[in-house]
Amino acid sequence: MAGELLRLRQTLPHGSGAAGRLSLLRREIAGMAITGIAAAPHLASGDPRVRVSLGETRLDRLLAGGLATGALHEITAAGPGDAPAAAGFALALAARFAASRKAPLIWIGEDFAGLEQGALYGPGLTLYGLDPDALVLVHAANAKDALWAMEEALKCRAPAAVIGEIFSSKLYDLTASRRLVLAAQKHGTAGLLFLGGPARAETLSSSAETRFEIRARPSPHSASAGGRASLPGPAAFDVRIAKARAGPNGVFIDRDKFHPVLWSHREVLFRDALSLPLAAVAGDGSDHPPQRRSA
Amino acid sequence: VTRYLSLWLPSLATDRITRRNVEARRAPLATIAKVKSAQRLAAVNRAAARHGLKPGLALADARAILPGLACCAADEAAEAATLAAITDWCRCFTQLAALDAPDGAMLDVTGAAHLFGGEARLLGEIERRLATQGFAARAALAATPEAAWALARYAEVRLLPEDISEADLCHQLGALPLAALRLDEKTLAALAQTGLRRIGDLILRPRAPLAARFGQTLFHRLDALLGRARTPITPRFEVPPYLAERRFAEPIVQRETIEATILALAQELSHLLTRQGDGARQLDVSLFGVDGRVRHLRAGTSRPLRDPAVIARLFREKIEAAGNIDERDPLDAGFGFDVVRLSAEAVERQDEDQTNWLTPAAEQDLADLIDRLGARLGVRRVTRLRLADSHWPEFAVTAMSVSSSPPERHGRACPGHPRGAPAIIIADNELPARPIRLLQKPEPIEAVASVPDGPPVRFRWRRVLHEVAAIEGPERIASEWWRHQALTRDYFRAEDSEGRRFWLFREGLYETETMRPRWFMHGLFA
Repeated sequence: MAGELLRLRQTLPHGSGAAGRLSLLRREIAGMAITGIAAAPHLASGDPRVRVSLGETRLDRLLAGGLATGALHEITAAGPGDAPAAAGFALALAARFAASRKAPLIWIGEDFAGLEQGALYGPGLTLYGLDPDALVLVHAANAKDALWAMEEALKCRAPAAVIGEIFSSKLYDLTASRRLVLAAQKHGTAGLLFLGGPARAETLSSSAETRFEIRARPSPHSASAGGRASLPGPAAFDVRIAKARAGPNGVFIDRDKFHPVLWSHREVLFRDALSLPLAAVAGDGSDHPPQRRSA
Repeated sequence: VTRYLSLWLPSLATDRITRRNVEARRAPLATIAKVKSAQRLAAVNRAAARHGLKPGLALADARAILPGLACCAADEAAEAATLAAITDWCRCFTQLAALDAPDGAMLDVTGAAHLFGGEARLLGEIERRLATQGFAARAALAATPEAAWALARYAEVRLLPEDISEADLCHQLGALPLAALRLDEKTLAALAQTGLRRIGDLILRPRAPLAARFGQTLFHRLDALLGRARTPITPRFEVPPYLAERRFAEPIVQRETIEATILALAQELSHLLTRQGDGARQLDVSLFGVDGRVRHLRAGTSRPLRDPAVIARLFREKIEAAGNIDERDPLDAGFGFDVVRLSAEAVERQDEDQTNWLTPAAEQDLADLIDRLGARLGVRRVTRLRLADSHWPEFAVTAMSVSSSPPERHGRACPGHPRGAPAIIIADNELPARPIRLLQKPEPIEAVASVPDGPPVRFRWRRVLHEVAAIEGPERIASEWWRHQALTRDYFRAEDSEGRRFWLFREGLYETETMRPRWFMHGLFA
């Protein structure tokens, strides 16, 4: 994306004012982020790794263009009830990685997490924007096996991303995370570690590149016919970037701020939950509000 | 020409107990079992037999004859397991080893004897090696299983050569008692009453009157014994299509040596597979211990495989996984292994150059990873989801082991479009109607609804109260009556006041199916 950015800057007319140029650039970036997926090396920070954008402009900007492949990213839940939302966020990130490369995903889950939160459900994943055929599920008996399997999987170049779900974070320490990071860096595979248990973003210490804390967010409701209870909308999250290693120069990350985002399962990208609520609810992505359902 | 070797373990039950203790082998020992509320001897060892003890004797009488008799409870299951283990071990002589319950094994050694220096030497070798394991054994070799069986148990001669004449054969076998025909006690007693005692008494006698009185079995057995009819044996294991093995004069113990041996064998096996254009789907490493134990390592693969390095790595993972149980000695080598065999138990056609040209390296990489994970964690733990055409949520998807079937390759559709889910019909602009996670079992919840057949207003799940802020439903799913019986479910997609989304249902239609519908939590949305 940065390459295109440079090219863009060169083609801009010189006469327009700084503010006009900036807004033009902003619009261009927003357009790229929504329609395309960044696959160019990130030149600005001298980082040669491929970054996969999330599709949502503000988060992408904070993350210097997106999430790097060949790195480890952690997803934690803000509270005990937010684990499903965090799982959804992890799956959504995985879907972004899968869409960027057309490669399979490997989900490694600890058995206990499956008991607690349920097993991944194929029909639901299809509707969420993931292809169940391109998903390999590994059921690990405990966190130790799960971490081992994740390291092995990261050593393989084939998967678009490896997602590990561990419930107890006892075994996941600095050393364990370092092993995963090294495997991911060496082979360029993206690792997502989803801590679905009682682990909180503040209590972790690891060498992961990014850490997200996810809170469930009320979705944009739509009114139902006949004045009954309103209908729930698409998946919505409050995302807090608790850690970002490779913050671009000059961008300040407010680590306490929750960013509201929506997951658009049809376009397979995130959207801002505040500025485009209608477009997201209208499944066709248009700015028209959705049609009322007939009773 | 077929050659069978019958192995008889006359004191299997007692040898099983004393095999590790040379001293105890010399003392009289018997196993006892309860027969008709009396303790009777089930088996005796040689020392006890020398004092006149026999199976079937009451324990009290046996104690009167021999006060110092040691006794153990008979354990049929353990004896059968021991016999099975011995039969398994016999596979280091031939692939075709069959169980010959209750006290023997039958080996098809056709064309295998020369590997051990001839048939006589093979008999000696097998007896000697069983003796070092602590089992008294007697082996005999003949052209039919029945003849070998009879020789092992009732004859001085242990070997009937291949080129034996008909007259000689009748002479040798004719001298054996009728019990060598494997008849039941009643027939034997009846035959004895008529004055028939030896097999020779039957051979030249007219058959019809005897058959009329004692049944056809008698002559079936006789014909089989003399090689006039063929009876097959049932080997415990199928003969693998490909195998490679190494025999060691000195047993090997160290893990590194074993792994190196497996790699060398994998290279041999790879040659064989390449020549025939096959790839292995199921591999087995058998480690034959000096002490008679056989250790098996099995590995399944997700696609035909013949790369020796990959095969060796699979088994390294297997050994590693075993090491989780016992770190120092993962294979439980004991006194070491003297035969290592690698066999491909199931193979599939693998076309030449497929590894190099047709499949991209990434796919190969992924398949290797899957095999490695399967070898370490267990094949059942690596799965793919296969969507099924069913409305009933539990049946709509199955987890298939990756190794059990090759992944179906069909054109990938755009993500987001429900290609593989024919059961769920959604318009393009609708929201996901199925959760991303489904609980293993629907969990009962307490729900409050304004009307009995209306949507819930609030519910309590896992002790937390949720206020419903938005709800969509019901989606009515009736059970597939041709598969199973269940009440109709009304599914709701509910969002609570904090933004958590759930998939819950009411079980039973109000007033038609039940008067008290129950509520369940079934899935979680993102």
